[in-house]
Amino acid sequence: MASVSEMYDVTWEEMRDKLRKWREDNHRNSEQIVDVAEELINEHASKLGDDIWIIYEQVMIAALDCSRDDLAWTCLQELKKQFPGSQRVKRLGGMRLEALEKYEEAGKQYDSILQEDPTNTAARKRKISILKAQGKNTDAIRELNEYLELFVGDQEAWHELSDLYINEHDYGKAAFCLEELMMTNPHNHLYCEQYAEVKYTQGGLENLELSRKYFAQALKLNNRNMRALFGLYMSASHIAASPKVNAAVKKANVKYAAWAANQINRAYQLAGRGTKENKCSVKAVEEMLESMQITMS
Amino acid sequence: MGEVELSCLAYVKMYLHACLFPRCSVNGLLLSSSPAGGAVCVTDCVPLLHSHLPLAPITQLALTQVDVWCAQTQQRIVGYYQANACVSDCSPTPCALKIADKIAEQCNNAVLLMIDGGKMSPDYRVPPIVMYERKDSRWTLKDKHTIMLRQWEETREIAGQLLDSGDHSLLVDFDSHLDDITRDWTNQKLNAKIAELASPANV
Repeated sequence: MASVSEMYDVTWEEMRDKLRKWREDNHRNSEQIVDVAEELINEHASKLGDDIWIIYEQVMIAALDCSRDDLAWTCLQELKKQFPGSQRVKRLGGMRLEALEKYEEAGKQYDSILQEDPTNTAARKRKISILKAQGKNTDAIRELNEYLELFVGDQEAWHELSDLYINEHDYGKAAFCLEELMMTNPHNHLYCEQYAEVKYTQGGLENLELSRKYFAQALKLNNRNMRALFGLYMSASHIAASPKVNAAVKKANVKYAAWAANQINRAYQLAGRGTKENKCSVKAVEEMLESMQITMS
Repeated sequence: MGEVELSCLAYVKMYLHACLFPRCSVNGLLLSSSPAGGAVCVTDCVPLLHSHLPLAPITQLALTQVDVWCAQTQQRIVGYYQANACVSDCSPTPCALKIADKIAEQCNNAVLLMIDGGKMSPDYRVPPIVMYERKDSRWTLKDKHTIMLRQWEETREIAGQLLDSGDHSLLVDFDSHLDDITRDWTNQKLNAKIAELASPANV
């Protein structure tokens, strides 16, 4: 099989830079990382200098994600040799145990880190991940809430908690978590849109109006967010069709829905231009918009 | 209740959908191009979501769009499938039951299919699926002997081949379509590839 550098015609520097980008953006493209990093380490280890240690860490986690215990073990040994007694390496050892489903041993590993350093957030979060892996969602939620009382600024944790609440159908609490995230990240269109989806799911006129507002906000922040566009259309349509609204509100929402429908049509026509295979999708959207309009009036 | 037949195309796409997003729960709709009445023949499937399955707006949107497409192509929605992120538990979640209920309103011998992640290893011999049918307003486990996969060996081969060649990344689910609307959630390209592998010339 051809090497990565041959297949994509890249130099070792480009591969190293790509790995750095993936690291910084926190991408979980583990199979790719393993392919690129394995070759980099095998062929060019001497040129990497001190970068090699962080690459070992990155590829070890990716290897665990792909069930490549052989590779993960090798990386772990190298890191243990270079950084004996390091808590960061200890945590990686714990993650390997998790990947092998040896949850009790992994838990003990993290407990020993926390004994030395009770503020070690990584170890605390790994313990919560173990609960999640075992399907113990209610326990994970409880632990994560306790964690957030101490580390209230941890965005990743707030988002994880909102996901857990969504899976437990506790939409009120999920909304609360997303509100925290929107407060600290007011320009992030994805949080707005997710919040709107949760509100829509909760249902009821008040929540629908909120959801419409936040779909609109998401669109303001990113006018190409298709979910937000569809969401705006659907929430406005439902509000307009509700018997509980007065004529003025109904009129306004019919206008919003019409605007959204127009934008959707344009987006699909632009996308469908030239590709035969998209004709199916374009037609489906057109018919759907038509059928929803009929129910609205 | 009656027999259910699962076509190669439907199985392979469902399987590839689960493989494409191993860390997420995924779901999708099962379609039939056969007329109603008699055995249920699942001839195709549409992969829907790989994130936030319980949230309503995108699910509603997808159901409406697939409904419209089915009317255009003489197909019916006859079931729902889901693969849970947590491999150790393949029981239907509340959102799976809800969507399946909705489908059963329109199709009285609808099926609910859960993919058993624990049985998806490379050496599995039996289809890693568990099927439920509606009996007395509850979803009950279906007798394995009423579920048919014609040419199971070939189907398994094809799924394996596409996975090895990396072609599973060709699969587009509704979520991916919303990220980039030029991508086709009816998966015409992948369908053609599967048909090619399944044709008598290749078997």
